[in-house]
Amino acid sequence: MEYYTLDGLEYWKYYIMLLYYRFGEMPPIIRIIALFTTACIITFLLLVLGNFIKSQKAARRIHRIQVYDEKYKKKIIELATMEEILDLPTITDELGIPKNFRMKNRTTGCMIPILITVQRTHKEEINRTNWQRVLQAFKIPSYFEMMMRSRNTAKRVKALKNIADMDADLKEAVASRHLFAKDEKMRMNARFHVARFGTSYPFKALEEDSNLLFTDEMMVNFHNILVYRNQNNMSMPNFIRWCNRTPVNEELRIFAVNEIRLFKRYDDCPELLSMLKDCRDERFAIALIKALGELEYIPAESEFRHRYAMASFAERQALADALGVMNSGNPEVVNYLIYDYEGSTDFVSKMKALRVLHNYGRRGRDAYNKLKAEATPATKILFEHIECNLLDSSKYA
Amino acid sequence: MPDSFQTFFNYAVIVYSGLLITSYLSMIIAAYRQHKRHNTYHYEKNMIAQLRTSPYTPGVSIVAPAYNEEKTIIDNVNSLLSLDYPDYEVVIVNDGSKDDTLKLLIENFQLVEVPYAYVEKIKTKPVKRIYKTSSDNPIFKRLTVVDKENGGTKADASNAGVNIVSNKYFVCTDVDCIIDKYALYRVVWPTMTGTRKVIAVSASMRMSNGCDVRNGQMVQPRPPHSLIPLFQDLEYARSYLVGKQALSSINAMQNVSGGFGFFDTEIVIKAGGYDGDSFAEDMDMVARMIRYMCDSGEDYRIVQIPEICCWTEGPNTVKVLARQRTRWGRGLLQFFIVHRDMVFNRTYRQYGIVTLPYILIFEMLAPVIEFTGYFSLLYLIVTSGVNYKTVWITFFALYCFAQMLTMTIISFDIYTGNGFKKRSKYLWFMLASLLEPFLYHPLNVFYALRGYVKHIFGAQMVWGNMTRKGFQPTPGAAPAGAADAGESAAEGPEIVTMPDEGPEETEEN
Repeated sequence: MEYYTLDGLEYWKYYIMLLYYRFGEMPPIIRIIALFTTACIITFLLLVLGNFIKSQKAARRIHRIQVYDEKYKKKIIELATMEEILDLPTITDELGIPKNFRMKNRTTGCMIPILITVQRTHKEEINRTNWQRVLQAFKIPSYFEMMMRSRNTAKRVKALKNIADMDADLKEAVASRHLFAKDEKMRMNARFHVARFGTSYPFKALEEDSNLLFTDEMMVNFHNILVYRNQNNMSMPNFIRWCNRTPVNEELRIFAVNEIRLFKRYDDCPELLSMLKDCRDERFAIALIKALGELEYIPAESEFRHRYAMASFAERQALADALGVMNSGNPEVVNYLIYDYEGSTDFVSKMKALRVLHNYGRRGRDAYNKLKAEATPATKILFEHIECNLLDSSKYA
Repeated sequence: MPDSFQTFFNYAVIVYSGLLITSYLSMIIAAYRQHKRHNTYHYEKNMIAQLRTSPYTPGVSIVAPAYNEEKTIIDNVNSLLSLDYPDYEVVIVNDGSKDDTLKLLIENFQLVEVPYAYVEKIKTKPVKRIYKTSSDNPIFKRLTVVDKENGGTKADASNAGVNIVSNKYFVCTDVDCIIDKYALYRVVWPTMTGTRKVIAVSASMRMSNGCDVRNGQMVQPRPPHSLIPLFQDLEYARSYLVGKQALSSINAMQNVSGGFGFFDTEIVIKAGGYDGDSFAEDMDMVARMIRYMCDSGEDYRIVQIPEICCWTEGPNTVKVLARQRTRWGRGLLQFFIVHRDMVFNRTYRQYGIVTLPYILIFEMLAPVIEFTGYFSLLYLIVTSGVNYKTVWITFFALYCFAQMLTMTIISFDIYTGNGFKKRSKYLWFMLASLLEPFLYHPLNVFYALRGYVKHIFGAQMVWGNMTRKGFQPTPGAAPAGAADAGESAAEGPEIVTMPDEGPEETEEN
């Protein structure tokens, strides 16, 4: 018998053929199971390999970040928090970055977490001009511009988030073409970027998007952006125009009223009051009542009392709260609060009226004491609750 | 056993297994898509920075019932008080503890009884007293302790807590759980990112057995080194990273765990709160919330987030596991009896059409089918009707599938950033996965069946009373100081290791 050795491709051909013929002899169910088992084993091995590679990559990246952290972080903090304004060549020299040095993308990617940490931890002390020059020294703006040209939406979104996190003053143009992008996350982040750094028409997208879905996440972000703009003396939007926006977007209108309250725009109060008079939407009315109350716009008091008869449960509570914040000492308000207390059937509303009366000057306190003297055994606990200084009755619900 | 029945059973099992494997594979794909989207667009540090200073961040209350928890109560309350969130309160409900739980709370947090105008929005056993701190420590001011008569169930105590929460949202947890410092930001965020109303958020949970804890915060998560908690840890990872994540992607979540669940207070109260008679009160609560939303024609979302927000002590002995799984088995059967009208009911949207039928067929019926399979195999062995070659090939295929599933979970865990710092720790998961089909799974099948039988024959309801082991100091670490509890919550150096032996459970009617 003649034997010969198979090698290389011949060996594998023979092996596969052998498997194929033995496999073909098996019943169909066994064939399916065998294929399934093979697929499971291959997937298992691929996952093990993938996890190993990922872990190695992550470890290398952490190591690189640590190296850069030790090399640059102290110097960056020192330069960024310096009161004296330094020019770019000085900062580049101080950081020890050679002239015409071009960082690899991987290197810049590792610098980003370090820069974000510095920005977060030393936010208050940072000299903004020096900070921008530090970023320029590391070629961060051009890195982000390159990221923004990427076809990958996730990369672009990440770049915009990082720009905001490290306060990298990039031109609004890098994001303005994505203001009406198809991808929701891209669109939203581009709007945040333009709103934060824009100079010409930063809130354009908010005002022009007729299908705008204004979420709480957007409220949080836009409020922080407005705080940022206010701190850096950048132009602020006209909130009243947002309130009167057509087509009507209730969420945006409520947000605008809240911002008037938070930024203490006292001049807008007459306009808010006229809106309240025509308002039929409960949530918008509550926002208006809260704003007028916190801005202590006394002419709104009579409208508040006028609304009481038709007001919903939540609106009545907002009215009581607003009158309490105004604390004008008006005897009519005291009568109104007594009426509110006596007319309410639930503990929450009664508690709210009593709390306002308790803190409403001498007249309010007198009325409170009178009601206390008339309290039934069931309502006595409300008075005790309000008088207990360990309990925060404003949070009672 | 007639041959025709045997043939029918064989084919039925093949179809059933095929469908089950297909459902697992679909869930893996759906979960992967969810994880990928989350990883791509979720920037946790940015989110925390935004929420920390915003006036729009909603307040959250934490409700934690406590029953005979004197060993761990102070550490656990300190842990709850040291979370990072701008506006939250902690409500501890002492459910008529027979030990010194309440006394310790009063002493450590300088509590005094207050005249709280308590309104019973959900019916519970009577509340005896409500306590607040008299200390000037601003951290303690967040704490409210409710002392009530023992209601016999966690549900009753949780309802008493819900009655006094003052925030729009609340987290229901167990007092022995270790909650991640940033957990509240994570669970609040999904309520802010969409236009649909989020009524509940579920976060991933893991076993705390064997982990390092400092000042009530998790420092070094580690897999448990004893078998039963290790199996349970793997089971939790599988459930949270694949099952719940996949169901969340189609808004068909079946359950928000009682260990750590985030809820809309108003909807919970409108749905009637937790049902004290239910053995699966968390699952029942979610069903009633969905029922309320669908019946009133409102749109809703229930979200699963992949981040680990809570670590809980798992049972260590077979005895405790037996009681826990029997109760779960009873709970599942009871749940389907109570909510049978929701199954295959289009009114309840994905929950009625996808979730409940899936749980009914692949979770509730699985132990019955599996047990019949064991019985059938035994019969065939006795009658020499077994084709051993086919048996081994089939078994090997399923075994390989289970290992592949475990490796997928490990990959998801690493991908989501939840993973153990040392990758070698995953060898424990792989070990558990190798042993699970022989040791843990048959036990679970048996206990689930026992639960069904007990429920069918109306055996008396018995609740286990968990006796916690408490934190034990790491050898060489500084001993627990006698310092003021508030200070220790803020910045103590002590590291303690959660005992590998979990809680002991004693029977109590």
